[in-house]
Amino acid sequence: MSAALPMAILASSLVPAAITFFLHQNSHRTRNTLSLGGAVIKLALVVAMLVDVAGGATHEARLALAPGLFLLLRLDALALLFMALSAVLWLLTTIYAIAYFGTKAELSRFFGFFSLCVAATTGLAMSGSLITFFLFFEMLTLATWPLVVHKQDDKSLAAGRSYLSFSLPGSAALLLAIIWLESATGPVVFTDPPDMSALSDASRRAIFALFVIGVGVKAAMVPLHGWLPGAMAAPAPVSALLHAVAVVKAGAFGVVRLVFDVFTIGQVQALGLGTPLALAASVTIIWGSLRALQQDEIKKRLAYSTVSQVSYIVLGAALAGPAAAVGGLAHLVHQGLMKITLFFCAGIFDERCGVRRIEGLNGLGARMPVTAFCFSLGALGMIGLPPLAGFVSKFYLGLGALQAGAPWVLVVLAASTALNAAYFMPLLYRLWFLTPAEDARGDENVPALVVPAAVTALASLAVGVFAASAISPLGWATLIVAREYLP
Amino acid sequence: MSAWLAGLWTGPFLPLLALAWPLILGMALVAPPLRRRPLVVLPLAPLPALVLAVMGAGGMATEAPSLLLGVELRLDAALHPFFLMSALLWLAAGAYAQGMARESGGQGDRQAIFAGFWCLTLSGNLGVFLAQDAASFYVAFAAVSLAAWFLVVHARTDQALAAGRLYILLAVAGEIALLAGLLIGVQAAGGTAIADIRANLPEAPLGALAAGLMAAGFAIKAGIVPLHVWLPLAHPAAPVAGSAVLSGAIVKAGLVGLMLLVPPGWGASILVTLGLAGAFGAALWGLTQENPKAVLAYSTVSQMGLMAALLGAGSGVVAGYALHHGLAKGALFLGAGLVMAAAAGRGRAFALVLCALAAASVAGLPLSGGAAAKAAAKADIAPALAMALTLSGATTALLMGWFLYRLTRGEGGKARVAPAQLAPLAVLVTAALALPWVLWPEAATVPRLYALGTGAMADAAWPAALGLGAGALALAMRWQPTPRPPGDILALLPSSGTVATAARRLTPALTEWPNLRRPSLPTHATPAALAARAEAVMRRWPLSGVAMAATVIVLAALALL
Amino acid sequence: MTPAQAALALMLALPLLAALAAIALPRLSALLALAALAAAGAALAVLGQAVLRDGPVTLHSGGWAPPLGIALQADGLGLAFLAMGWAVVAGVIGFAAIERRLPAPFWPLAMLLWAALNAVFVSRDLFNLYVGLELLTLAAVALVALGGDKALAAALRYMFYALGGSALYLAGVVLVYAGHGTLDMALLAGQGRLATDALALALMSAGLMVKTALFPFHVWLPPAHAAAPATGSALLSALVPKASFLIMMRLWFEAMPDAANAPLLAALALLGTAAVVHGGIMALRQSQLKQIIAYSTVAQLGYLFLVFPLAGGEGAAQPWAAGGWSAAVFLALSHALAKAAMFLCAGIWLMAAGSGALAALSGLARALPMTAAAFGLASVTLMGLPPSGGFTAKYLMMTAAFASGQPFWGLVPLAGGLMAAAYLYRPMALLFARDIPDHQPVSRALQLVPLALALAAIALGIFSQAPYDLMQAGRPETAEEGL
Repeated sequence: MSAALPMAILASSLVPAAITFFLHQNSHRTRNTLSLGGAVIKLALVVAMLVDVAGGATHEARLALAPGLFLLLRLDALALLFMALSAVLWLLTTIYAIAYFGTKAELSRFFGFFSLCVAATTGLAMSGSLITFFLFFEMLTLATWPLVVHKQDDKSLAAGRSYLSFSLPGSAALLLAIIWLESATGPVVFTDPPDMSALSDASRRAIFALFVIGVGVKAAMVPLHGWLPGAMAAPAPVSALLHAVAVVKAGAFGVVRLVFDVFTIGQVQALGLGTPLALAASVTIIWGSLRALQQDEIKKRLAYSTVSQVSYIVLGAALAGPAAAVGGLAHLVHQGLMKITLFFCAGIFDERCGVRRIEGLNGLGARMPVTAFCFSLGALGMIGLPPLAGFVSKFYLGLGALQAGAPWVLVVLAASTALNAAYFMPLLYRLWFLTPAEDARGDENVPALVVPAAVTALASLAVGVFAASAISPLGWATLIVAREYLP
Repeated sequence: MSAWLAGLWTGPFLPLLALAWPLILGMALVAPPLRRRPLVVLPLAPLPALVLAVMGAGGMATEAPSLLLGVELRLDAALHPFFLMSALLWLAAGAYAQGMARESGGQGDRQAIFAGFWCLTLSGNLGVFLAQDAASFYVAFAAVSLAAWFLVVHARTDQALAAGRLYILLAVAGEIALLAGLLIGVQAAGGTAIADIRANLPEAPLGALAAGLMAAGFAIKAGIVPLHVWLPLAHPAAPVAGSAVLSGAIVKAGLVGLMLLVPPGWGASILVTLGLAGAFGAALWGLTQENPKAVLAYSTVSQMGLMAALLGAGSGVVAGYALHHGLAKGALFLGAGLVMAAAAGRGRAFALVLCALAAASVAGLPLSGGAAAKAAAKADIAPALAMALTLSGATTALLMGWFLYRLTRGEGGKARVAPAQLAPLAVLVTAALALPWVLWPEAATVPRLYALGTGAMADAAWPAALGLGAGALALAMRWQPTPRPPGDILALLPSSGTVATAARRLTPALTEWPNLRRPSLPTHATPAALAARAEAVMRRWPLSGVAMAATVIVLAALALL
Repeated sequence: MTPAQAALALMLALPLLAALAAIALPRLSALLALAALAAAGAALAVLGQAVLRDGPVTLHSGGWAPPLGIALQADGLGLAFLAMGWAVVAGVIGFAAIERRLPAPFWPLAMLLWAALNAVFVSRDLFNLYVGLELLTLAAVALVALGGDKALAAALRYMFYALGGSALYLAGVVLVYAGHGTLDMALLAGQGRLATDALALALMSAGLMVKTALFPFHVWLPPAHAAAPATGSALLSALVPKASFLIMMRLWFEAMPDAANAPLLAALALLGTAAVVHGGIMALRQSQLKQIIAYSTVAQLGYLFLVFPLAGGEGAAQPWAAGGWSAAVFLALSHALAKAAMFLCAGIWLMAAGSGALAALSGLARALPMTAAAFGLASVTLMGLPPSGGFTAKYLMMTAAFASGQPFWGLVPLAGGLMAAAYLYRPMALLFARDIPDHQPVSRALQLVPLALALAAIALGIFSQAPYDLMQAGRPETAEEGL
């Protein structure tokens, strides 16, 4: 037990953020060093921690605010799962972003908020109590807005507006739920699920619903997902952050905490809350896929795909059984790896070739084989093609659905697979099989853009191929479920 | 780290190598020197598998607990004929494909893609026979199923792409059905071992559904009526070497799936019915085809139907039948490819002869490998079904005759027949003729010599004679079936264009929900307008005075309560 | 006299002296004000330590205890307000000293205003408080009038309302004196209630509500605060209404706690709720930045009145007490800091763009990033988002509401926060627009002032434990038990 480690991890992105804000626009080298340095240090800390926590250690730090209002940072296996994902992807996204932006304007602001976002995500992962979770959840909301509007054009501003007009009411619902709950139970610490005997069943259900609405906005659950597709107007590194590393994950992570650590599986089942949540997740999965099918812009299609995919995690939590939980938690990482690959690639297509719409993908495979290959791996993984990451998630989710006595979920998974195939395969077909337009140009000779995409693409293959290994996301998720949620 | 590496695999390395080696070769194609001549890896890819096949079944079990969800590979005796046949066929087709550099699609990169996915398909195909756990099986099945798409569309002609569309549609549907079924099975078995799944499925809740889903998935792959529609389109569209492995080895993955995962006896009558419908229907419908490769494709549907019927009837010698069919059908495709491309001459004639031998064997002419396979099969099943099997010899003979007729009537090309291409053909024909005799199935209820007996010989001869006679008669009467495009019952379905139009018409109905437009209040009643009016009222001096007085009175009154 | 008592006396004397000196030596006025600030800062530190250590510090003028003499007392609440006043005045004076554009009368007026505020914060005598309030009003009206000819009408309106409020308050004070023969709060609390007390309380409360610009008496505030120069607006919006509100709190919680009943408390909170809603909607409609900020003040002042039903609110499950009461104090403090920062931001943009229209903000984030950051951070506080002091206040308030079984009042800050987000988003979005307008340069030092104030409002949330402990010193029992 040590309080220094959680604080150090938090500081590894807060400090660079604080300094970056005050850097001059043109001090590129200092800024890049800070961003990369922070990311590398954090990754190193997280890796060191992995071994430690796998051995059963936990680390805790507590900071009192007002009475009853305290910050509790706790490093356990679940926290580390999320954090390891964000630490790895943050480093890659930073490399990518530095290359992506080059020497454009307003970069100190961008990287400042970028680091702040990751600090918030880290804090969120380590949150040991509900109110700590909320604090970082809000910090994330606010730190993301300047990134969404970074381009400062009308589209981005509209996206930013839509982002806040979904997020802030969502946060209000979350705060309401927390205060309602805590006024009856006292401060809720995740290690010690609260005794809700003072609340009626109806109140508990209402609190649960408010919670789900609160975190559901971030997790882009239908009908609270409206902000996400618009937010693709932001630059590619931001999309990567929104869709893979931080924001939607924060929502999904919130659902996991809610089901397992606040209400606990037993109570969720006793109150009959699992099925409605699973239904909501299912509707989201199908709806997101159907909408994705209609989009002609690559990033928009990917955005709707996120809507669909993130609810797999929610589904895993909602089914409230061991295998489903393992699948959901593993998908937290898997979706991140696959989706960030896709957004990295979409960014390269846009940045290097000006390709934003799917027609532009025609024949790009010949000119950008590595990028196109990575994109293909990501897309196939999303479809759930074995042995890629998405297959492993689906396998466990399906198994979990059967375990939980909800075989109808198999239909949802099957339909989702078919729809995923329907909206991703045409893109791959265009990439590799159609002939490019006459005036097509551009190449992929920017290693700093391509290498991160390649790393995440291969990672999404590796986590599937070595799924049964103890250090894979699946292995880690199994460890979490075995350690925390099984009697 | 070392402990982790040690956990990578235990047991002999060969089964793992048989699957990994093609993948390694496939990936090596990225290297520029190989990329210029990618086809050279094709015959190398199945070599470890061939070694494994020759070393024989049993004993060779590999476990790789860190891979996938825990991989276990073993070559079971029951599947040994499949494995051996596949290894041989892939080797022969790979060798034959060396001549493809001169065929269509000569571009280096496209050949590299072909070669890469060839290796992946091969690995998947062999994996289906070796896998002992559901996850590896599914991975292998997906690989053989989906990667084969690249073999189908290699020519990139409209015809090939259309066939590819249908193929991928059904393949993906099959994958989904299979996964759903497997999941139910894994849940029922409490683990991923295939043997446990098969054992536990009959009693499990939803077990029948799982078996049905898996059977559907496998039936697509195996080309069982009515899910065979992709097959007559895809097999002729692929390059010759691709057609050979598709029709010979890849379809067998579906059959093996049926054997391994569908509980014995489940849906037996359905399997037998559909199998026989395919066996006779496809053979007859094949007569409407003009392209020799399409005729062969229908012959495959017909033969797979027979095997499905045998499986449904509980025969233990399906593997032996499949061994023969795979080798013979592979040989037929390779031969057809040679003959159709070759200029008239000795080479072409030699190829034609080999084709005729293979065709005779498929038709089950006495002394052929096919006759041996059929004899073993007939002895194993109910008399009625045995009769049907015997009768199917007639339709098969008719179809094979029609195939040879179409082949000889073709114009041929200008290519010279290379001995390097003739050799794999010859090897396959020899194997098809001889191996069924050599590897007489242990499960067979009659000894090998039985097939050489007069009764069996006659049994093999008369249907063939009947079929050939009917053919000759039809030829003499100048009676020919009307030529039709491949696809048969596909014509009953709406065209893909119609479906696409309908889908497009449906999709605009999906708009964003909820539609976040502001509620349309009349402008003077919006909260903002109301607040502004209230503000104006409150600003008036007299009103403020009244409000102050009222506040004092109300507060005082409340305080007095 | 102990050092703490001396410090208390200094808090009153220093601003007055500085005001007089500024009149005498107008050229040195900025320097004098800064010197007074520095000294007051030291005094505040001494006072704060004493209060934290020994509880409230009392000073009897002339050495006579009430009812003969007049008592000045710095308890936790008073000290928190003193510190808030110091911080805002320091920010404003620093800003004015860097800006160097204000007319000479600004300095003595600002010092006078500060003196009057401090007097109100530490007085315990109803008439003393009246004097302080009048002084405050005079200085405030004059500050509005500094805004030039256009501000005159607004200043006049302000004055009339303030005088009306004063008259009501004074009438109440007279009634109390007639009934009890004393105006000292502690003594009043000890006496029983008379029949006239109801009317007296009503009169005083109504007067204070007018001065606090509670709905529906808020109509003087937006024009006045929008018309004054930015520095003046900062003082007016951040501090002046807080003085009358503090009197209101002391009156209800300390002088006459037993006069309260549930419908009365609900009536006060209901007016507060109306202010939140009305102020929020009106802020959404404005096209001038300063008007938005002013209407936001109307809304934020509305929250404060939720304290009356919410004080106490001790739920069995909660480890803290007096949540609602402390929430109001936190809110007053964080609002003061954030609002001052916002008005100073508005002043900077006015200098840069030459117009106070909302549209003139377009693209200024790129030109003046520090100011945009200050405005953003101040907005976070006003929206009540973590980790700001505004959030701490909202959290305590909502918890108190739920714990005491009055969830409706808990929804008010929640809804108010969302409305604040809506009206503050408009300037934020414009700031982030792509175009870079022509603008005058503004010094970084000047931009630093609102940033520091806004950061202070955030810090109040992050380091809320110490201020919380401080507030509890000398807290009335009613704060814990509820009215």
